[in-house]
Amino acid sequence: MATSQSGAKARWALIDVVVLVYALVPVLWIVSLSFKTKETLADKNFIPREWTWQNYADIFTTNQFLRALLNSVGIAVIATLIAVVLGTMAAYAIARLDFPGKRVLVGVSLLIAMFPQVSLVTPLFEMERSLGLFDTWPGLILPYITFALPLAIYTLSAFFREIPWELEKAAKMDGATPAQAFRRVIAPLAAPGVFTTAILVFIFCWNDFLFAISLTSTTSSRTVPAALSFFQGSSQFEDPTGTVSAAAVVITVPIILFVLFFQRRIVAGLTSGAVKG
Amino acid sequence: MGRAHRIPGRRGRRLRVALCAMVIASPLVAACGSDGGGITVNVYYSTEENFDKVVAECNDAAAGRYTIALNVLPRGADDQREQMVRRLAAGDTDMDVLGLDVTWVAEFAEAGWITEWTGQDKTDVEAGTLAGPLATARWEDKLYAAPKNTNVQLLWYRSDLVPTPPKSWGEMLEQAKRLKADGKPGGILMTGAQYEGLVVQFATLTAGAGGKILSDDSTRAVVDDGAVKALEALRDLANSPASSPSLSNAKEDNIRQEFESGKSAAFQLNWPFVYASMAKSNPELAKVFKWAPYPAIDASKTGTATLGGFNLAISSYSQHKPEAFEAAKCLRSAESQKFSAINSGVPPTIESVYDDPEMAEPYPMRETILDELKNPAVRPITPAYQNVSTLISTILSPPAAIDPKATAERLRTELQDALDSKGVLP
Amino acid sequence: MKAITEGKKAERRLGLWLCAPAALVMVAVTAYPIIYSVWLSLQRYDLRFPAEREFVGLENYVTVLTNSYWWSAFGVTTLITVISVVIELVLGMALALVMHRTLVARGLIRTVALIPYGIVTVVAAFSWRYAWDDNTGYLAQLFAPDAAPLTQRASALGIIVLAEVWKTVPFMALLLMAGLALVPEDLLKAASMDGAGPWQRFTKVMLPVMKPAILVALLFRTLDAFRIFDNIFVLTSGAQQTGSVSMQTYNNLIRGLNLGIGSTMSVLIFIAVAAIAFLFVKVFGAAAPGNDGGKR
Repeated sequence: MATSQSGAKARWALIDVVVLVYALVPVLWIVSLSFKTKETLADKNFIPREWTWQNYADIFTTNQFLRALLNSVGIAVIATLIAVVLGTMAAYAIARLDFPGKRVLVGVSLLIAMFPQVSLVTPLFEMERSLGLFDTWPGLILPYITFALPLAIYTLSAFFREIPWELEKAAKMDGATPAQAFRRVIAPLAAPGVFTTAILVFIFCWNDFLFAISLTSTTSSRTVPAALSFFQGSSQFEDPTGTVSAAAVVITVPIILFVLFFQRRIVAGLTSGAVKG
Repeated sequence: MGRAHRIPGRRGRRLRVALCAMVIASPLVAACGSDGGGITVNVYYSTEENFDKVVAECNDAAAGRYTIALNVLPRGADDQREQMVRRLAAGDTDMDVLGLDVTWVAEFAEAGWITEWTGQDKTDVEAGTLAGPLATARWEDKLYAAPKNTNVQLLWYRSDLVPTPPKSWGEMLEQAKRLKADGKPGGILMTGAQYEGLVVQFATLTAGAGGKILSDDSTRAVVDDGAVKALEALRDLANSPASSPSLSNAKEDNIRQEFESGKSAAFQLNWPFVYASMAKSNPELAKVFKWAPYPAIDASKTGTATLGGFNLAISSYSQHKPEAFEAAKCLRSAESQKFSAINSGVPPTIESVYDDPEMAEPYPMRETILDELKNPAVRPITPAYQNVSTLISTILSPPAAIDPKATAERLRTELQDALDSKGVLP
Repeated sequence: MKAITEGKKAERRLGLWLCAPAALVMVAVTAYPIIYSVWLSLQRYDLRFPAEREFVGLENYVTVLTNSYWWSAFGVTTLITVISVVIELVLGMALALVMHRTLVARGLIRTVALIPYGIVTVVAAFSWRYAWDDNTGYLAQLFAPDAAPLTQRASALGIIVLAEVWKTVPFMALLLMAGLALVPEDLLKAASMDGAGPWQRFTKVMLPVMKPAILVALLFRTLDAFRIFDNIFVLTSGAQQTGSVSMQTYNNLIRGLNLGIGSTMSVLIFIAVAAIAFLFVKVFGAAAPGNDGGKR
């Protein structure tokens, strides 16, 4: 029994290694490129022969990248906050209240979750141009909220259904005011779900490229994913591989941190929201 | 129960108000980038080494009347155009001087995005400027831009492998094949990726065979026998052992690097920027790095080459037009052009600059360039150029798959649709 | 009795108020633009020829639907969608089983598997591009010396599928893992007692239970894959006929500034996606998540 157990463990360990390689190789490659010197950039080695911080120094000394980073963080954070607030309200209603139009709302958000975003690019481009929203933060925040809302509503309503709402009643029986009951009992129970949703929504906004590249034109609102393709080399005909890689690594760091610290929550959020329904 | 529900609602509302305030405030954050006080002329220009020094000179010359701010555009020509066009389509007033690739003037003028040059400004620009580059700055007989620098491709070769440069396209292929057969580096490097660089080759070869892609007024797709010969030439090169395996991925910088490595190539069809680069990166090879006129299909037309380069135009939405015109004139003055030629290798558009003695050392190929400039093949001038170019590069890719007659037929019908602005971009 | 109806009314009102902002934003940013898009698609409207704007009826639809580039992009999009979703389903199922069952370092595996899900698509696409680029890439010469895989149509499409699959397998796996969790452990034990091998247990016990989860995952991923844009934009920009319909719409709109043609394509893509969703729901009976919204 013991040997078969350890044999199984060895087999699983092997499979685990395959998964590790699968997930990490592309990430390590871009990290490796970002540390290569100009001269060794084209050596095709997976591990740099000469290491340098130069690419990072380059991107952090130009306004172009810093500004894009600020845009990315600002736009994603604001859109996440708004989407989570609106999503919480709607999800609470869906999970706990009975009202007409509930099914319609669920249906509409489902439609939007599956909506081909490119279909919106043309009309939004034209509308934002005439409204003066083109190339501004709100011009990106609005579509982000829209497409994040279905995600937020599903995930949150799934979480809210799991909350033992009877506790609220019990607290009130024990003499707590409704406000106290909410703050002491419900809020702590709901907070993890809201937080998880915020992470998922943030990842979604952080990732967007299509809107970012179509609805912006200058550094005043261009986010990092879009800015990457506008990086310049030192002359007209030179590739900016090193700096693109460095910038790519920088915007991957928050994702890695999220994944490292909140793995359980993200998994729970994605699985509950999507399937339990 | 009802009361309990209102609480999250109210909290949510308060939060939302705060957030809306943030959203409203954010454009102000975005707007606080530009500095107040004095007139700023915003110049949008592609990446050119040392252009910031030219800007600094012109700022000194302006003596505080205005300040030129240089905004560097992305690297690829398509990206540059895309960025400017989008802002102009949105009526952006923050752009004053635009660095336009020579092929964009017609489009920008037709769309009403750039201002015509008139009066003294026009006279100043036309004086002493070479006719070829000047033609690229005109649309419907009006001047819409000032040529800042021009560009022509030359045939670059290794004199240790090629004692006498080929006089025609066919001869070049022959020489390359012989070198390959002898086991020497005999490759011919050309920009064959699916982008504007391939269109340049096609336009040059067509002109060098006495052919035409579009009619002179750019309203009809002609694609005549000369163009068919050009297609044959491209196909022959792509299928020749002398061609590089990465031809269909090769852009200017790729072929420069491949040539500089000295391993595989004896010929390179490229812009003059490769000369200064070679001296820096491979001084040994630089000693045998020579140039000749672009070899045409018809040997008598060797030296006919497509014009590249940049023109400066003034945005119609500019709030400081007089200053913008003055700044543009300074940036393209004979003095500035000389500086750029010597320090960044870009060929001037003002003829007298070529005769300057200081040009001799950094620009030994200036005679050849000047000859080609006087005998230019101008790319089609049409507001639909972007569509024309996209279609050509799509249809000709990969060059090895060209079937001259059929490809010409396709070009004819699809280009005609593009000219009528009926077509769909691939 | 009266109190209850009062309470019900209040509940209804509250429910509507709570949902209104979310619903409003979603409708304003999608429904109105789509209608506007239909309107634009009936016009000849090219920003570079502003003087020539006019109403042309269905002419743009004829132009697009008779254009070989459109159908080529449509074919490419369909091909990429089908191939990548099939591969994702297989690999996703495998990864789901690993994440669910591994005896070793389960937390670590789950964490690591989330990286492709979380990473910015454009970043991953750049990594793949530089990996296969014939100048910088460690993979470029994997199959043939001197090859430039990104410039050949077949290999470029393969790389696009690879990039798409790599990024989305973990997501697929997570959706499937939720289905796996629903498989009762004792049912598997019972099957095992009855002499069912691992494969039989998988096909006879697990798959039937997981069917709803699988269909939802397939629906999600099919519609998502059909919108593919980021990967293609970075990897090939659509060169050598590797462009998707989203890529082509972007080119006509943003590069070509042809709002008429761009809108026509937008509408056509919308119709195609709606058709796919309809197909899934009607033919396969996929239950959309949240469909049981009536339940508490």
